[in-house]
Amino acid sequence: MRTWPAPLRALRQTTGGLAGGWLLLVAAAAILAPHLTPYAYDVQDLPQAYQPVSAAHWLGTDEFGRDLLTRLIYGARTSLTVSATAIAVSVLCGMVLGAAAAWFGGWPDRAVTVAVDLTWSFPEILIALILVAIIGPGTTGVMVAIAVAYLAQFTRLTRAQIMTLKGETFVEAARSLGAGTGHILFRHLLPNALAPVLVSAMLATGDAIILEATLGFFGLGAQPPVPSWGGMMSAGSALVFKAPWAIIFPGLAVAITVIAINLYGDALIAELDIRQKLRRTA
Amino acid sequence: MIAYLIRRILMLVPVFLAVSVVIFSILHFIPGDPIDNLLKIGSSPEARAEMEVRYGLDRPLPVQYGIWLSNVLRGDLGTAIVARRPVADLIAQALPHSLWLGGLALLFSTVAGVGLGVVAALNRDRWPDRAIMGGVLLGSTMPSFWLGLILMLVFSVWLGWLPVSGARSWTALVLPVLTIGLGGTALVARITRVSMIEASGRDFVTLLHAKGLSPLRIQLRHVLRHALIPVVTILALRIGWILGGAVTVEVVFARPGLGTLLIKSLSQHDYPVVQACLLMLAMAVMLGTLLGDILQAVMDPRVRAALA
Amino acid sequence: MTFSFRKTLLSASVSLTALLAAQAVAAQEAIFVMATNEVGAPTYNPIKATMLNTATGLIFDRLVSQAADLSYHPWLAESWEEAPDGMSWTFKLKEGVTYHNGEPFNAAAVKAWIELFKAAQGENAYMAEAIASVEVVDDHTVRFIMSRPEPNLLYNLSSTFMGVVEPKSYAALGDDYGVTEVYGTGAFKLESFAIGQETVLVRNDDYTWGPAEAANHGPAKVALLTFREIPEDSTAFLELKTGGVDFLLSVPADLIGEIEKEPDLAILTLPGQDLWYMPINVTKAPFDDIRVREAAAKAINQQEILAAVFGGAGAVADTFLISALPESHVADSAKISYDPARANALLDEAGWTMGPDGIRLKDGQPLKVSLWTQSDSIFRRLTEVVQAQLKAVGIDAEITTFDSSMIRDQYKTGEQQLAVRSYNWDNADIVDWFFGGDRLGYPNVSMFNDPKAEELRAAAMTGAKNSEERVANFTAYHEYVLTQFPMAPIYQPLQVMAYNADRLIVPAKIDAPAFGAAAFLDLEVKE
Repeated sequence: MRTWPAPLRALRQTTGGLAGGWLLLVAAAAILAPHLTPYAYDVQDLPQAYQPVSAAHWLGTDEFGRDLLTRLIYGARTSLTVSATAIAVSVLCGMVLGAAAAWFGGWPDRAVTVAVDLTWSFPEILIALILVAIIGPGTTGVMVAIAVAYLAQFTRLTRAQIMTLKGETFVEAARSLGAGTGHILFRHLLPNALAPVLVSAMLATGDAIILEATLGFFGLGAQPPVPSWGGMMSAGSALVFKAPWAIIFPGLAVAITVIAINLYGDALIAELDIRQKLRRTA
Repeated sequence: MIAYLIRRILMLVPVFLAVSVVIFSILHFIPGDPIDNLLKIGSSPEARAEMEVRYGLDRPLPVQYGIWLSNVLRGDLGTAIVARRPVADLIAQALPHSLWLGGLALLFSTVAGVGLGVVAALNRDRWPDRAIMGGVLLGSTMPSFWLGLILMLVFSVWLGWLPVSGARSWTALVLPVLTIGLGGTALVARITRVSMIEASGRDFVTLLHAKGLSPLRIQLRHVLRHALIPVVTILALRIGWILGGAVTVEVVFARPGLGTLLIKSLSQHDYPVVQACLLMLAMAVMLGTLLGDILQAVMDPRVRAALA
Repeated sequence: MTFSFRKTLLSASVSLTALLAAQAVAAQEAIFVMATNEVGAPTYNPIKATMLNTATGLIFDRLVSQAADLSYHPWLAESWEEAPDGMSWTFKLKEGVTYHNGEPFNAAAVKAWIELFKAAQGENAYMAEAIASVEVVDDHTVRFIMSRPEPNLLYNLSSTFMGVVEPKSYAALGDDYGVTEVYGTGAFKLESFAIGQETVLVRNDDYTWGPAEAANHGPAKVALLTFREIPEDSTAFLELKTGGVDFLLSVPADLIGEIEKEPDLAILTLPGQDLWYMPINVTKAPFDDIRVREAAAKAINQQEILAAVFGGAGAVADTFLISALPESHVADSAKISYDPARANALLDEAGWTMGPDGIRLKDGQPLKVSLWTQSDSIFRRLTEVVQAQLKAVGIDAEITTFDSSMIRDQYKTGEQQLAVRSYNWDNADIVDWFFGGDRLGYPNVSMFNDPKAEELRAAAMTGAKNSEERVANFTAYHEYVLTQFPMAPIYQPLQVMAYNADRLIVPAKIDAPAFGAAAFLDLEVKE
């Protein structure tokens, strides 16, 4: 059992297992969406609008008579893809910037530090709103906005990790054996810094889902008829007294998924035993 | 201590300058032009040029920046292009609403968060702990606009206890404060709980137990005091986060405030107003960070000793 | 002009204490919610504004008022006479009228106002363009000397944009007029104005010169009016339902059913002045082909939209003008209605053949177009239905949502193909506004610039000597525009309003095109 990788070990805990199970379920549903749903997400059936929860429509229908469960499943595709892609981009750029800052020190370090302090002077939602205003509405704009909003976090974390590792004996040893900068960075430093960064990336994905939903609420993000959780809540907010299910279910989907990400992340932190590493830079 | 304060405040200057450059320049990348909204349709290029001169938009960007910054430093925030009145007036109308909302939300998160965190820590790993931590986790994972709408649905529409929107009475503050505050509560409760548990394991606590003090008294009088240091620091750091939450919540509850002003001006490309709003928010974040550092210095005996 | 920032912070703390004071709803006070399409009006300056709200019409009176049947009646002008050749108009003014700041209203004031109006060169200047000069005949008689006959003069004079401003303060205040201070002769005075938030008006106790259609000529029965600006219809409805406000000046059709469920709420309807339509950019392929334009226009199922999106309230639109206007009576062949067979046949003829996935193809390229809309929920809903209807004939329309106040800038790029829009106007000159060849991009979203249309347009705008001629010329212009398919008409809503019948007594008959000054004079609050 000890040889299992940490992500699987985390599943063996009760909460970690439940949370991981939910995430797998959502991911599977999103991938298999066309095979799971009896309805199409974009075909309107206007006489069937505003139907409450029923056997035919498990979560009711929206203002166009479209099945909400179908749209929720397809919405998972959009919301998860956008958030995960944005965070992946953010992590990659953050690791490069953070590693460069820590390794080279001097002015690159100061420049990166000022830039990070700068982004931290604005709440994420503001960064995202302004970037979307520049790039234009649509999923690309939202992805870039989220990626930039979280860039500072990963840069800072990577930088701190590398700084600590830089002084460790095995790095000194590699250096004295004549290893080049690239070798040390990519073979020794980054792999050791990876676990905390990836876990914090996972937790950030939860925040990114909320941010994506909030941008969707402002009408930015996936364009109709493509559903996203935020877009569904935005449409649902105008129907809140008439068809409350249209806003309650997408909101629950976001809340449960983000909780699951947090709980699974916690389990993972416990398994990897990296709480201290994360705390130091929080 | 004084030297530390001065150094800490001086450190804000470069960040403030960088923030001001970013605020000033980024807006010019947004497509669309406020002048277009003012000009008569079919106006001549001359009329346009005249309007640009009037608002100083014809000069090179660095010059515009210099003028803007020196005006801001002298307390002159300029004139709104679309709203056609001093930006300072618009900010003065909006700021008190946002300060009340943010301040009360901060207060609520602190009181509720510390209270829940203490109860959870005292009942570590038993059901009250699990219930509280589960509850606050739920509170922190709901998008604030969604939570706001649900609260509005329940308390204003179904129960009819509180106003739906606006800022015409004190009661209209309750739901927005709750909406923002619940997210903050989760954070504070988690940190309080963790630092209480950590502090309980410290040597001085063992000593106090040995002296025969009652366990509850030790927890509330001594452990909590230590545990509050990280809470205060994190809260100060999180001022920006609370203001960010206020932007969406103000829109949901159709409340006046910096958030609604910012969103409106952003969509109208009213640069001077957007710049002023962003500057206000960024300054609040910077001051929050400063406050957090100072409070930490004052409260943590080790830091205090190092500075003395 | 600019205040020092320290002073601002000081005033901020003062208004904190103001916030502390509980605001009890006094008797003779009513809270209105501004119509959603009037949210965000930045100024109460009728000369310079391009957007004015209902409150403007209460601060400023006009020379003449318009009744529900679109006829004109005395207001600040007691009577008037047009010269037989249309080259001059003489107005006899009411006596004893004063502005809110105490200045007298007389012939000299009217002359000064018209001169300010013309000098402003604003977007509204065309309304007074045909007035060459103004003569003061005696203290209460004024004569407009015309540069050409203007059959539309009374309409223009009845419009809120020609609300009579107080010329002295207007000249003195400059851009602050309408923002910090504003003086008219109206039944209400401006008390406070927070842009995008709230406007408070107080009763003008000296007012006795209400328009002919009001039963009460003044002063108004309600002492204090608050106009709140709430951008979302659903929030406004919830405020009305929970008693937070008394009156909604606009209610979207899909909420009528919800309001009827509430025992204390009542619906008030007036004939509509709005029209929803889908502009088609005639310069962008594939819509540079008139057959594709006609196909897209005839793919729109107006009946389905009326029933499904607007709950059957209002009427379908088959021309660009609201049905109340005589110029909307064009030949049947020019009207644009749902005809899927014709739409499909035209697309086949234009070389767009149906592909396997239900999207038409030509030379291997799919028939994919952009469809722009605004972020307001009703726009988004209507646009999604339009998207589905276009898909039914094989047109794949991709929606892009823009913020409502940002979309104008986007139209100016000319990159749009299709869009969903609405306008609010009750005069045929709106055809000129949206299809004039000199306003490409915005407001001419269709980028329509056709030599024959321009000729007809000139005749309609400036060539008519009297009303009959004007109607005939505008009908011809409108009809020609329709046959070129620069847009598809969709829907004409009713003006639907709602109020709390436990709180307000609304006049039984509203003899005006909108809920304006006359209706506000007769409005009562229950004790």
